[in-house]
Amino acid sequence: MKRYLETGNFAITEGAILAGCRFFAGYPITPATEIAEAMSRRLPQVGGIYLQGEDECAALHLCIGASLGGYKAMTATSGPGYILYADPYGWAIGCEIPLVILNSGRVGPVSGITGAPGQGEFYLTRYPTQGGNYETIVLAPNSAQEAMAITVEAFYLSERFRTPVTVLADQLITDGFEDISVPENEDEMKDMGFRIWPRKINRGPNFYPPTDEIDIPPVVLGHNTGALCSDWTPTEEGYDIEEVEAHHKHAHRLIYKIRNHRELFSHLHEKKFMDDDPDLIVVSYGTPSRVVNTAVARARQEGLKVGALRLINLWPFPDEHFQKRNKYLVVELNWDGQLVREVQRAAGKDSEVHFTGCCGELPTVNDLIEIFEKILKGQPLARKGWQLEEW
Amino acid sequence: MDYLARKYLRPRKIPSTACSGCGLGINHKAVVQAIYELGLEVEDVVWGTSIGCAGRQTFGTWKGDGFAGTHGRVYAIARGLRLALPPEKKIILTVGDGDAFGIGLLHLIHAARCNADLTVIVNDNLGYMSTGGQYGWTTPYGSKTDSSPYGMFEQNLMSEGMDVLNILRYAGATFLARHVSMDGYRVVESIKKGIQNRGFSLIHIIYPCPTNFGSRELGTRSPLKIYKWIESKAAPLGEEKEETLWATGIYYDASNSRPEFSETIRKNIERIRRSTAA
Repeated sequence: MKRYLETGNFAITEGAILAGCRFFAGYPITPATEIAEAMSRRLPQVGGIYLQGEDECAALHLCIGASLGGYKAMTATSGPGYILYADPYGWAIGCEIPLVILNSGRVGPVSGITGAPGQGEFYLTRYPTQGGNYETIVLAPNSAQEAMAITVEAFYLSERFRTPVTVLADQLITDGFEDISVPENEDEMKDMGFRIWPRKINRGPNFYPPTDEIDIPPVVLGHNTGALCSDWTPTEEGYDIEEVEAHHKHAHRLIYKIRNHRELFSHLHEKKFMDDDPDLIVVSYGTPSRVVNTAVARARQEGLKVGALRLINLWPFPDEHFQKRNKYLVVELNWDGQLVREVQRAAGKDSEVHFTGCCGELPTVNDLIEIFEKILKGQPLARKGWQLEEW
Repeated sequence: MDYLARKYLRPRKIPSTACSGCGLGINHKAVVQAIYELGLEVEDVVWGTSIGCAGRQTFGTWKGDGFAGTHGRVYAIARGLRLALPPEKKIILTVGDGDAFGIGLLHLIHAARCNADLTVIVNDNLGYMSTGGQYGWTTPYGSKTDSSPYGMFEQNLMSEGMDVLNILRYAGATFLARHVSMDGYRVVESIKKGIQNRGFSLIHIIYPCPTNFGSRELGTRSPLKIYKWIESKAAPLGEEKEETLWATGIYYDASNSRPEFSETIRKNIERIRRSTAA
């Protein structure tokens, strides 16, 4: 194990290389530029390829081409680049191409504030492309160290499900310097829980079987398997077809290969002070969860019975955490409230769901404790300028 | 099915579902003929296509591996694939004019810029014909289409002395040719040269669309009328007349004169890997 004082961008790069990534195509964008820079330095050292796309749309298409040729491939960006992935993302979902996509959230809409954290793409990562009829896998780490592990996990899942996986980070995770341990051999990787799935080659002839099974090798071109992949509805062999029945089968696979294997995500969450059935559950993901954890620990010392639930697997949404009638507070780095909508849906009418959001900066521990107190006493959340609003 | 189709194409997709009288099949056959004459086998070629008439009608026809990319992005996909495939594998792309010169022009220029070893066959039916017939970026000035009912009057990549091949030449392409479908064996020869160039090659082939372009511009769906009309507007390079829209032949041949993209990348990675390992 080697220790570094480094950024999340560094950790993500090392994680990708450990997972077997040997192709990265990027486009400079704050706060994910340093991943591209680190990849350009590190990949050639291990025989891998770094390329710069003419735009993000090209970058992801380059990754698709490389993945179709057998590489484990990755790209990284922030919101304004992520929207340019819409075109290739859909193709990769439809053709079931394994890829890893990192999105480091900043403050939007549009270019917004480039060097500050935001969580405005909770739904965009669920619906990153046109058409619907698919499920997506999205994972959200809350530290540089975890970003490395989650990047490794994203590659693992992308191969098994043969689909693009988004790692949703934010500016503080990718830019922030932290204590990072990088495993140096397979044993150390195993000790850290890193799982690796090798690239396999589908030999056909049924490249798109209408089943929810996973572990079906992806299409790899150039091995004369007769593989076909296109942007149209595929037959099982990959021919284009304009038939609702065929499309239904294909869509069913795209949705249920993921939904029917939730056990592969179920460990991807973190619970603190949740064992004694707390009166209020504070829900968050990414960087704000670190403030939430501190605030909840402090609140406990002050006698408030609160617990913290941090989601790492955001999509498919883990409804199972919200089955019990309870009071929930959702803390997000946005002012419009995104995760809270999903929590409200999953928790149902009998639960009480509150929201507090800020953006570009983190909430403070004191602010959060004040909100916990108010919710527990049944008082309305006082407006505090534009920072904290009841949803 | 003729001997070429039996050897290289999939019976399920041949004949294609193209409109009757469509000239695309002539271009398609010229590509397969060129592959045959170069002695290439099914496993030597990965065939990519795009969206629109040219993309859809040629997708899945090749017996070997094939793909159809998103509209205009196939040049970026093919570039990624080029890096993953061994250098001896040929990547041949059959695309349309809207795909290459409209939505995909940026990616096309970048594929030429780095001299990626791709052979791009641009099948140009003079606009967006699979969506019913709207003008494109090579539609002749004054032509009537469904989106230019008063005649096409916007500047495009083939008007006022402009030529889209100039853009590609100065972007770094190493083999460029232009033909009309009716050029027969000359098309096959150009495609062969394109495939033999270890670098970025593009062959621009104007082909007749009787169903949409013919019916709007010429007022008839008669294949014969549009075939003759295209022929009358084409002349070999150096023999252009006043009415010539398309000078045909090899426009630019700098085959194998520039380092190829994937070769350059591989060579440099090997160099860096060795120097950092030491």
